[in-house]
Amino acid sequence: MKEGREEKFSSDLISDLYVNLLKEIWESVSALIGEAILTLLFNLAIRKIGERYSFLNSLRVSEEGLALEEVKKGCRNLPPAEIHRGFQSLINQLSHLFSELTEGVITKELLPRVLPKVREAERMVSKK
Amino acid sequence: MEFITFKDLNKLRSIINAISTSVEVKGIIESAGTTLPSLFDFSVFGVLWKEGPMLSLFQEESCPPAFTQEVVKNMLKVFSILGEEPIEVERVNLQVEKGKLRNKQKVMDPQASLKSHLTLPLVIEGEIIGCISLNSDQANMYNVPRLQFFSVLGYQMAASLKHIQRFSTVKKEAIYDTLTNLFNRRHFEERLSAESQKAFESESNLSMIMVDIDHFKKVNDTFGHDGGDKVLREIASLLKNSVRKHDTVARYGGEEFVLLLPGAPLDPTNMVAERIRRLVENTTFDMGQTQIHITISLGISNFPIHRMKSKEELVKMADLALYEAKRGGRNRVCIFKG
Repeated sequence: MKEGREEKFSSDLISDLYVNLLKEIWESVSALIGEAILTLLFNLAIRKIGERYSFLNSLRVSEEGLALEEVKKGCRNLPPAEIHRGFQSLINQLSHLFSELTEGVITKELLPRVLPKVREAERMVSKK
Repeated sequence: MEFITFKDLNKLRSIINAISTSVEVKGIIESAGTTLPSLFDFSVFGVLWKEGPMLSLFQEESCPPAFTQEVVKNMLKVFSILGEEPIEVERVNLQVEKGKLRNKQKVMDPQASLKSHLTLPLVIEGEIIGCISLNSDQANMYNVPRLQFFSVLGYQMAASLKHIQRFSTVKKEAIYDTLTNLFNRRHFEERLSAESQKAFESESNLSMIMVDIDHFKKVNDTFGHDGGDKVLREIASLLKNSVRKHDTVARYGGEEFVLLLPGAPLDPTNMVAERIRRLVENTTFDMGQTQIHITISLGISNFPIHRMKSKEELVKMADLALYEAKRGGRNRVCIFKG
């Protein structure tokens, strides 16, 4: 019982961490390439990674921004490692798309912000 | 770290202005291609336009062919990564314009390869209509400010291209009959005004053939409106293929069509009409499980033979001749008799 509560707590922490990271990615990259292109790239990435991590399909993206409440709700009943792997794959896929389009220009901007947070998530998952 | 200067912003404004004042796709692409070197250093600038598909490249004149091919390949690759159906190189209508793009007289190495690029989709209302790409033989050529500028240009190009695309759709719908793809009556009236004015002024020939499908109601009653529409489309196509390029073929209304033949004297017009009548008579219309034969009646009027004084009279006389053809038992051609 206690273990279950702890796992739920970690899941919340990890999903919070990634939700904030995605918000940060949105803010930074939309300033570079605009919301319309970024929406398209997010939706492409979600479609691809959502095939494996279905909880990501509830992530809604429009030119107004990211709607993250549903995906956070969906994470509550998932193991932290699964959430971490799903979000990490999504961010990797986004980075891949950014690189294909602009080579290092976007990723160079993003890496210093993204990497520490992904590592933090990794630490949280490995502690478990 | 490179900073954006006022000079850069002014250049950006000029480019946007050039793009947004263009009224056709080619103009937009050309405006972008010719004004971009003031703001970006590149070996090749490419615009991939999904319709066609068409790929326009503006490149440094010393750009080697292998570099061009690499750019084309890369743009098509990125386009498919964006979730679009892959486009084969062979299908692309490639247009290359060479010029001196760089201020400094840099000649490209014949062995040059693509070292850096910025490729962005042209997105409007969630739809990708193409992509644009800056390509260089120099490594790390592009940075954050250039990317921001390039994306602003991309948005402007996408909006302008979409605007033109919509405008051409509206223009098409205003001219053509959606069922038969022939000109609609409104456009026919415009053509009639122009051609009759020309003929009346120069005393040159102008002939009109009015066509009506015999017993069309029976087709609709037997095979439903889908069957009727199929017959209308097929006859429209037969009519279109039976006349010269500069003749006007239009759907006049319901099962009635009209042909306007500038410069055509009465006798050749009669021969055309007779040929069309026989063609329709000998055509088998496939209506699913049944095959049917259909006939048409045709009425002809001609300027100056029938001495009409207005375009309305030209129409009225062809219509009266058509009435005579119907009255005479259908499946025939009648010339107006005053």
